[in-house]
Amino acid sequence: MAVDIMLTILTVVFALMVVFSKKTVVAAFSLLMTLLMIAMIYFQLGTVFISAVQVLINAGAIAILFVFVMMLINLEQFTNNREKSKWKLIVSTVTILVLLGVFALVINNNIETLSVMNLADNSMKTLFAKLFDVYYLPFEMATVLLLAAIVACIVITSHEKHEVAEELAAAKSEDKV
Amino acid sequence: MLEAAIEILLKTVVILALPLGALPLIIHVERRGAAFMQKRLGPNRVGPFGLLQPLADVAKFMFKEEVHPTHVRPFFYTAAPMVALIVALLPLACIPVAGPIEAFGRTIYPEVFRSDMGIFFAFAVSALGSYGILLAGWASNNKYSMLGALRACAQMVSYELSLSTSVVAMIFLFGTNDIHVMVQAQSGYWLGFIPQWGVFYQPIAAMLFLVGIFAESNRLPFDLAEGESEIVAGYHLEYSSMKFALFFMAEYIHMIALSALFIILFFGGYGILPGMEGLASKSPYLLMLLQVVSLIIKIACMIWFFVWVRWTLPRFRYDQLMNLGWERLLPLGIANLIVTVLFVYFRNQ
Repeated sequence: MAVDIMLTILTVVFALMVVFSKKTVVAAFSLLMTLLMIAMIYFQLGTVFISAVQVLINAGAIAILFVFVMMLINLEQFTNNREKSKWKLIVSTVTILVLLGVFALVINNNIETLSVMNLADNSMKTLFAKLFDVYYLPFEMATVLLLAAIVACIVITSHEKHEVAEELAAAKSEDKV
Repeated sequence: MLEAAIEILLKTVVILALPLGALPLIIHVERRGAAFMQKRLGPNRVGPFGLLQPLADVAKFMFKEEVHPTHVRPFFYTAAPMVALIVALLPLACIPVAGPIEAFGRTIYPEVFRSDMGIFFAFAVSALGSYGILLAGWASNNKYSMLGALRACAQMVSYELSLSTSVVAMIFLFGTNDIHVMVQAQSGYWLGFIPQWGVFYQPIAAMLFLVGIFAESNRLPFDLAEGESEIVAGYHLEYSSMKFALFFMAEYIHMIALSALFIILFFGGYGILPGMEGLASKSPYLLMLLQVVSLIIKIACMIWFFVWVRWTLPRFRYDQLMNLGWERLLPLGIANLIVTVLFVYFRNQ
């Protein structure tokens, strides 16, 4: 029990550090620690598989890309951007309201969530049986969301490339003149 | 409760003592092996056959002045070697040194963390291996260190993919994540003398995994992270004395852990070597001892292979390394995985 409380407190502290730390790399490492703490909570609940997946994918692959990119472009000169804008306020309010709404829906309608406790017996089989049966639609929607994100990335980068090429061409023609 | 605590404590001590105790010997083998291949003598002055040379090195590391550069980021600079070593030690937790044994009225599993997800857990925690290096490179606040760390990290992330495809293929083939079941599945013989090791089922996966180990542990021919002629010493450039020794230890322990996983997947794990059955059938305790000895012999062969390759192949160029990883090994790994999955599907029909 003491371990559970400690892990929860640490998770929250690291999560707060992600938001409030001034240095971006410290924030990235706090994110990593948050993910690892969540993995430990899963571990504490007896679901080794989900815990290992959390470490392997979130901590081992995604967070490392964050840290990698931050170090590569040396983000130290950009401290956490704190300019005030009304859009920030509006968007965060809407997000919080939506999250609260979803939370209320889940609690009110008593929707059966993927409770980790009942996966402890035979985690992998139970998990995937549920994922591809009961939760097939949300699972597919998540993949579509990821696909959309990938497409968006490609569009953004290719657009920038295009612009860079145009700028280069313009600079070259200027040189010639 | 107390009994369980003592059991875990004992296992932890043993699993930490084995690789840490073997480290000086491995380093000695490495240096003598290098000398052997280059027609030199190598360190042979301290003690018989120079065997005490590693001890002298340890003493040197301990008593050397610790230089703490002023331009580093102090917290991360100090934390990096510790992170590297701890993460390297983690996968050892679920590597069994022998089969389960009946003693004191219950079954005792000779691994610290017993789980039916053993192999998966080991790979998950070894995926964290690049953080120590990345931290060190960034905290050193030095261009060469940074370049070394970025190279190491990119390389580890890239080769982890092809390595994972080979592991997944083996998991499909054995139909389990449990290390003991995997070892059990490899314990038989073909024609009475060829052991049914995973390497004979899946030679391509074995090759991918082997290449992956070299890239993951940053050893020649993939030691671009340290490329002396280009970036001085890479990520541990600013580290001296015991902090440097921690990185050194982390690299070797990572190597041992990955070798052990390789042996579990492809060479029958702790399964006894051919020719030991007569002796092993006499007593379960003797069997356990022989299993430990077999595992140590197999790991020793792997370590010798590492040394052999290190002094045989030259270093790759960085673009060659990335091309090999992404354009050759990864498609090969995925193709191998697809074939394996189809094979398993039709076998189970």
